[in-house]
Amino acid sequence: MDLLSFARGPALKVALAVFCLGVGWRIAGFWLLRHRRNLNKPRASVLKFLSEGFVAVGSRSWPHREFIGRTGAGEALGYSYHLGLFAVVLLFTPHILFLGSLFGVTWPGLPSSLITMISVLTLTLFLAVLFRRVTNPVMRMLSNFDDYFSWFITALVMVTGLAATAHIGGPYQTLLGVHILSVDVLLIWFPFGKLMHAFYIFPSRAINGALLARKGAVS
Amino acid sequence: MSDATGVLAADLAPEQAKTPEARVAGAMHGFAQEVGALSAFRLESCIHCGICADACHFYIATEDPQYTPIWKVEPFKQAYKREASPFAPLYRLLGLKRAVTADQLVQWQHLLFDSCNMCGRCSLICPMGIDVAALIEQARHAMFDAGLAPKELYQKAAHQRATGQPEASTEPYREQLLAIGTRFAVEIPLDKPEAEVMLCVPRTDIEHYPSAVAALARVMQHLGISRTFRSDGLVAENYGYYAGGKSWQRDISLRLIEQAILVKAKTLLVPECGHAYTALRWEAADLYGKPLPFTVRHVTEFLADELQAGRLKLAQAATGKTTFHDPCQLVRKGGVNDAPRALMKAMGIELNELKNHGGFSFCCGGGGGVLDIERAAPLRYRTMENKLREIDDTGAETFLTSCSDCRRTFDDAQAHFSWNKSTHSLLELVAKNLAGAGNRT
Amino acid sequence: MTHAKSELTVGEMLLRHGISRRSFIKFCTATASAMALPPWMGPAMAEQLRNSPRPSVVYLSFQECTGCLESLTRSFAPTIEDLIFNTISLDYNDTLMAASGEAAESARAKAMKDNFGKYVLVVDGSVPTGAGGAYCTAGGRSAEDTLREAAKGAAAVVCVGTCAAFGGIPFADPNPTSAWPVSAIVGDKPLINVSGCPPMPEVITGTLLQFVTTGRVPDLDEHQRPKVFFGNTIHDRCYRRPFYDQGKFAKTFDDEGARNGWCLYELGCKGPTTYNACATIKWNGGTSFPIQSGHGCIGCSEPGFWDKGSFYSPLSAPAWGKAGEVSPRQVGELAGAAVAAGAVLGLASAGVSRLRQRHGEQHTDNEPKGS
Repeated sequence: MDLLSFARGPALKVALAVFCLGVGWRIAGFWLLRHRRNLNKPRASVLKFLSEGFVAVGSRSWPHREFIGRTGAGEALGYSYHLGLFAVVLLFTPHILFLGSLFGVTWPGLPSSLITMISVLTLTLFLAVLFRRVTNPVMRMLSNFDDYFSWFITALVMVTGLAATAHIGGPYQTLLGVHILSVDVLLIWFPFGKLMHAFYIFPSRAINGALLARKGAVS
Repeated sequence: MSDATGVLAADLAPEQAKTPEARVAGAMHGFAQEVGALSAFRLESCIHCGICADACHFYIATEDPQYTPIWKVEPFKQAYKREASPFAPLYRLLGLKRAVTADQLVQWQHLLFDSCNMCGRCSLICPMGIDVAALIEQARHAMFDAGLAPKELYQKAAHQRATGQPEASTEPYREQLLAIGTRFAVEIPLDKPEAEVMLCVPRTDIEHYPSAVAALARVMQHLGISRTFRSDGLVAENYGYYAGGKSWQRDISLRLIEQAILVKAKTLLVPECGHAYTALRWEAADLYGKPLPFTVRHVTEFLADELQAGRLKLAQAATGKTTFHDPCQLVRKGGVNDAPRALMKAMGIELNELKNHGGFSFCCGGGGGVLDIERAAPLRYRTMENKLREIDDTGAETFLTSCSDCRRTFDDAQAHFSWNKSTHSLLELVAKNLAGAGNRT
Repeated sequence: MTHAKSELTVGEMLLRHGISRRSFIKFCTATASAMALPPWMGPAMAEQLRNSPRPSVVYLSFQECTGCLESLTRSFAPTIEDLIFNTISLDYNDTLMAASGEAAESARAKAMKDNFGKYVLVVDGSVPTGAGGAYCTAGGRSAEDTLREAAKGAAAVVCVGTCAAFGGIPFADPNPTSAWPVSAIVGDKPLINVSGCPPMPEVITGTLLQFVTTGRVPDLDEHQRPKVFFGNTIHDRCYRRPFYDQGKFAKTFDDEGARNGWCLYELGCKGPTTYNACATIKWNGGTSFPIQSGHGCIGCSEPGFWDKGSFYSPLSAPAWGKAGEVSPRQVGELAGAAVAAGAVLGLASAGVSRLRQRHGEQHTDNEPKGS
């Protein structure tokens, strides 16, 4: 079986299965731990509790005035490469077709050359992010294998994707096969590392916002 | 002289001596007790972005990465991943995560106690919405179980649990309270069998700011509310909370709870004390095991309600340009942002807010028990420099707050830095500016 | 139509047909140029051919649809293609030859014997090995037997068409006849795969011509196809490439994009992964090729093209399962099952954690529990 058929065939099937299994395992594995009921009287109504939680999902994306001086640049860097990644993953027609095959829905995409430009920009930002992680003393102290490997596998997907679209580095089906294979590896790694934050971020913010609202506290 | 883990005996109480194995076992036991779905979710969600450091005044003042808030709970995170996370069996089988060591725990004592005011500012900045302060509180419980709570906190907690007072005093607080009543010519209703409002006192006020105790008594007298102090439940502070001894925290809170139930109080009034509010308003019911049969209110909340209802009238206070320090436990963590401001507005105070005020205020530096930890003083002073500068930058002549420990911390800084400002109590100001007779007679 | 052996040289044959030497040189030059051979090779080829006796070619057909032969004979310049038939001595082709039965078979046997070690063996169709070879027999002999025997005396083996080159349609899942490509049976002779379903006429003739005139096998890729024709993908030479780059894709066969000649990627075009000369040489004397006519390339010159997923499913789509097709429903089932399995494992690990927690707590007093 050639590389491309393997990558988008059995390898992809296994990768998707491991991804789904891992995500189900990880989320069930901690959410089924002990829950404690809050017996203190809340300050806010249930409605406020829920709505503040909902609002917190988005509001945390923009740092408060008091913090923005110190964190603005770093957060802007982080959010912008995420936006770039989403644009490339969700608005490049071959990707839309891939996701369409999985989910049964498609949507319009951006011109491919624009996607290429966004990809290059995103990759540059992504390299900047690694540089920051390695040079910033706080991040360097916090970082472990998970941080670096997750970065690496994401970068690999981006680089191989660019190589495939630009037809640089080999025959097209090899480039495409390597790209899809790197996505397979990313899918398999996903549930075991920090990439899970994609699933965690919104519920986590919502819970934090709701619990703070419950006390009438700012969030 | 140090034990096998290198902990200086001077830093711990004699009862806290443990073998390294026992320390690890204690910590693991503590971690196990604390882990649940919510804390697990929080520990899972950390993406190592380090942004929490930018909210923490210990990091801001020193630029030392070890003070990154989430780093303070690293042993907890490590233990969780190895022992209780979804993949924990795999991690243990394949040896992918190291077990927490006694040396690590000893190293972390400084991070979890000396360099954390439990102020909760980090919980506001985390992009993942992690309540880092909650994790630190939980990690402290494990440190307590490991026998690693700083001795000042441990000893005060032990003493308070046994006697109701964090420390022995020349005269019991009960007597001191009555003496204050005499000295300031104010009623001190003590040990009444029934009352609508149960009162308690910050022991910091009894020892250092008796006028504040008088102010509390005076305001309540002015309002003519059915109230009482109780000898068996007098002290507002909870050193069990500081030390991280959860069952001790419960026992200490229970004194107040039981007395409030005994007198059939509708309200348990928390005086000007920040963490007493956190301990009673937001944690006591869980420790007690069921909802409290009374309301817990901070004195500023209570008075603001009275103000709104028209039962409290205040005269204009001539304080000139004024600024206010928001106690973390009251405002950021407690949710009582508006009440102090309502009182100040009613007194016509010209309030110049601090650059970081309300829920974003920087901690005074003494919270979380740090004020009591002697060896933490140098670090504490470093973090306070920024806060004092902020206060000065408002150009205020009068500096107010509504927490006796914050007040004590600032006054201590006044001495250390030869700072030009004294810290005044909002409650005392209210007591000085009561207008008209109270509604209930 | 053919002779078992001819004493006439190619040049003499050409003259008989009224083809001047000049015309023939032009033809050879064109062919040489199409094969990217140096310009001097054209006249050299012509000279070589004109003065040689026509080389013997034995053309065996097995599990095939005859499309390859149709392609070869489907020429818009019959004179030229006919020339090829006159340039070589097509000593056996069961479709084209007039003889049949015993006469045909003995003609073949004689040609193979007379030209042993020198004839070019051209094969189209795959070779079935199932049921003892009963799925394809001629004259009572299985295809496999016939092939093995014929290969013994061949100077080279040219596998025309994807069936002969890679197994093609008979080889596709479930391959009920146990069909194999020629290369699986013949291992010890120079072998050239001229794949395509069918291959382009000029590709067949060009390859044959080159071998016949130079005696050498051209440069081959990893699938043993002449690089000169199979070195680039359709995508690399496709005139619709600018639309691909701009992201302008036709979504249906008759929408505005299709009518404007936009890229057919979404409609399943396999151009990017297919190596052939369709985009440059084109079909029917340079008239058109599938993409130009509005249908995506189906990748017919590639191994296993029949099993590589739907012709209408784009290259970026997942492709596991039967016939390489995956529906959202199948994905949903897989994902659902995996998540459920994961949740069960999560339940188990949470259970283990909680048991360990409780065990740890047994040794303490009634302390309040965390969350």
